[in-house]
Amino acid sequence: MSHHSTQLLVIGGGATGLGVAWDACLRGVEVVVVEQGDLGQGTSGRYHGLLHSGARYVISDPSSARACARENERLRRLAPHTIEDTGGLFVSTSHDPADFPDAWLAACRACGVSVEECSPASARRDEPLLTPHVARAFRVRDAALDSFDLLHALAAAVSDAGGTVLLRHRLDRLTPRANGFLAAITAPESTVVHIEAQAVVNAAGPFAGRVADLAGVSLPLALGRGTMVAMATRLVNTVINRCKPPSDGDIIVPVGTVSVLGTTDTPTNSPEDVHIDPWEVDALLDEASILLPGIESHRALRAWAGIRPLYRPPDAPRMETRDLPRAHALIDHGARGGPQAFVTIIGGKLTTYRQMAEETVDLVCRHLGLEAASRTASTPLDPARRDYHRLPLRLERHSRPAVDDHSPVVCECELVTERELTDALRSTPTHELDDLRRDLRIGMGPCQAGFCAYRAAALLTQTQHPQAGLTAVAAFLNERWRGLRPLTWGYALRQHELTRRIYQDLLDVDAGAAPES
Amino acid sequence: MTHLLVVGQGLAGLFAANLALRKGLRVTLISQGRGGLSLSPGCLDLGRTAASLPSQHPYRSAGLQNLPAAVDAFRELLLLEGIEFLGNPDVSMTLPTAAGRLRHTHLVPRSMALGHFDAEARMVIAGFDGFRDFDAGLVGDGIRRAGWPAQSISLPLPGEARRDLYSTDLARRFERAWTPEQLSSLWGPRLGKTALLGLPAVLGLDHAPETHLALERSLGVGIFEIPTLPPSVPGLRLERALRRRSLQGGGRLIEGPTVVGRVDGRSGGGRVLGVVAATSAGPRAFQADAVILATGGFLNGGLRADRAGRVADSVFDLPVEAASDRGEWLGDGCLGYHPYDLFGLRVNEHMQPIDRQGRVFFDNLFACGGVLGGADRRGEKSRQGIDLLTAYAAVHSVAP
Repeated sequence: MSHHSTQLLVIGGGATGLGVAWDACLRGVEVVVVEQGDLGQGTSGRYHGLLHSGARYVISDPSSARACARENERLRRLAPHTIEDTGGLFVSTSHDPADFPDAWLAACRACGVSVEECSPASARRDEPLLTPHVARAFRVRDAALDSFDLLHALAAAVSDAGGTVLLRHRLDRLTPRANGFLAAITAPESTVVHIEAQAVVNAAGPFAGRVADLAGVSLPLALGRGTMVAMATRLVNTVINRCKPPSDGDIIVPVGTVSVLGTTDTPTNSPEDVHIDPWEVDALLDEASILLPGIESHRALRAWAGIRPLYRPPDAPRMETRDLPRAHALIDHGARGGPQAFVTIIGGKLTTYRQMAEETVDLVCRHLGLEAASRTASTPLDPARRDYHRLPLRLERHSRPAVDDHSPVVCECELVTERELTDALRSTPTHELDDLRRDLRIGMGPCQAGFCAYRAAALLTQTQHPQAGLTAVAAFLNERWRGLRPLTWGYALRQHELTRRIYQDLLDVDAGAAPES
Repeated sequence: MTHLLVVGQGLAGLFAANLALRKGLRVTLISQGRGGLSLSPGCLDLGRTAASLPSQHPYRSAGLQNLPAAVDAFRELLLLEGIEFLGNPDVSMTLPTAAGRLRHTHLVPRSMALGHFDAEARMVIAGFDGFRDFDAGLVGDGIRRAGWPAQSISLPLPGEARRDLYSTDLARRFERAWTPEQLSSLWGPRLGKTALLGLPAVLGLDHAPETHLALERSLGVGIFEIPTLPPSVPGLRLERALRRRSLQGGGRLIEGPTVVGRVDGRSGGGRVLGVVAATSAGPRAFQADAVILATGGFLNGGLRADRAGRVADSVFDLPVEAASDRGEWLGDGCLGYHPYDLFGLRVNEHMQPIDRQGRVFFDNLFACGGVLGGADRRGEKSRQGIDLLTAYAAVHSVAP
């Protein structure tokens, strides 16, 4: 059992929690972050990849729209290496209400969201797959933001600044004491860590209700499950939004080599409920085919779901989760009769994580009796710490005739080499290939681990875990299968059959080798 | 002379074409892509559960009593190309896979036969430095876990290190570039007193039996091959041998185009005329007196399924029975049984596709291999048995 003490304990290692930690570090506050899973395993890693221009929320939630517009410009300066400036289009089609665009345009202007109308012809020149039935088109400052890269950059910045990020550490107990809190945490291998902290920030996203329970306070949340589908190729180079009130399937985001169709919004009671119903996939494809007719003939690669945590103020009516304010909520539990120096930050958008962090740490500093201003708005995130995985960069490196580099490729789809994998295994003690996937992108390409699962499991077994073997293969394939399952017709069914042909027919790895799911 | 059009060049299509040529038919083999043999371990799984065959099972339609004759015909054909299959259709053999599982099968090419677990021989399993598609460690682990002695090593390959090695590159080098003397001087010191050596199945492509034998002699050890990740060389050897055989026999091979079935409108729809191929010069018709569909299942493109839950054959668009709710097609885990495994065309005893009421769609249309439904090929270990027997039966129906 180990024992730490710190000024600030942050629960949750998503964009919000790591943003809070980074903001606190820059103000000279000692900080420890505990994350129950891996970086990107929660909501921050399960989103559509959009850096919001704010235009989506100008009518439904103007304050979120303003915040998005402001933070969008800041992130472009502070973390350019995590962003691809694709630009965005809002497109009104003949299916959409004709009076919406003018009202929306006025709201954009009122919120300070940058927007410029362009001709339908010019929109279609940029995006040839776009429907011919474009009535009006507008350019906005949307971009693609890689949340995995952002999380890694934040975690590295926190560590460099003297903070501590503990992954796979789950909070079990949080006990208020005379001058702060005592947290009991389960670490990997079932060891227990105790952390004394003067202040605690609950940034656990969909799990924030459970964390609040541990501290003995009630936190009413509305959880919305959002499903997304990645098409296997980059069908568009610009973020395409439907110019109509927010609804299921109103956006297509080009992310790396794929295009992400987003998003549905279904209320759920469980933060772990990331299952996908067939109707959700149908809705996304039906809506996307209004924007890009013929999208059905392209391959759907993978579906996933994330949980949107929204704060439901006790006085809010029982409204749909989509209509709840997207603006974040900062709750000072001490001011409501709960423990002092216990703060929850919940909701908001990935795009506004920095502003949320700043407001949160302002409040924390008041509790700690510190006077220090936030510096995150002017301190860039250092890109040098990590090898950011972009397929073109890997391709360039791989095609270089390097005489001293003969490391074989393990994952052809994402060009991950044996050396990268063994390096990652040395720095990430894990026996799960899925942890390597989040770090290196193995298994995320078109074959969805069909080829690399075997090779990576062989390496894992040789270098780290002699017992891993086929259990690691089956577990990884099952995890990838969860994302293919909702799409099992056409190409995805063929892909699934190819994987089964390799593992069941050639290698005779059957369900018996899989661990209990 | 009857002109037969065979669509698809997997095991079933290539075997059917060869059988038909032997019967003196004029044969055109047309195929959109390569068949499924690059994913085949190159062994023959002939799983039989005669007592409890479901009524729709292809073994039942084709007549299970003919399986030995079909298998014999196949063995004879491959022997002409120097590939000898060992084993007995009634007795299963147990061979290690590249994942270290012990796989049951029936007939195996000679190059794999020494891997059968029936002796107390101490095996040495060897991978090759830098070759990721076969891991000797996993194989050795699996064998030891099953209670047999085995040692895992990695052997160097001649020449300078290369970045990415694939099974087919290695197979060509073993056949054309590297001599047995070169390999035995490189490997001899590592092998010591090894009597039985398991290697990735990459020892040659078109002259594999000679390559295998020469290496055994030069090293003085018994060698058996274990199939690797795809492309699986033992499957490719069969593909290449069967293609060579059919071309030598006068068959015509057309590769590349997607084909759509053509139906004779004047006959009241009772016969097919052939297929229309989409070519770069526009649609091109291929006429035939009879058509055998050997297009494979979902993976190989013989069956297709859409989002609305409709399943059909991809050439004549013959409907295939399937639950309309896609969710019911699937099992829980990735590996294991999925209900869609049973999807496919139903046929009568002449291998003619039939509808739900048992009515023949077209008098001169036949089907064999993976496009047929009604069998859990993985569970039964019957994939190649079904391919061979149904191809045999289809050709018999075209030319009794």
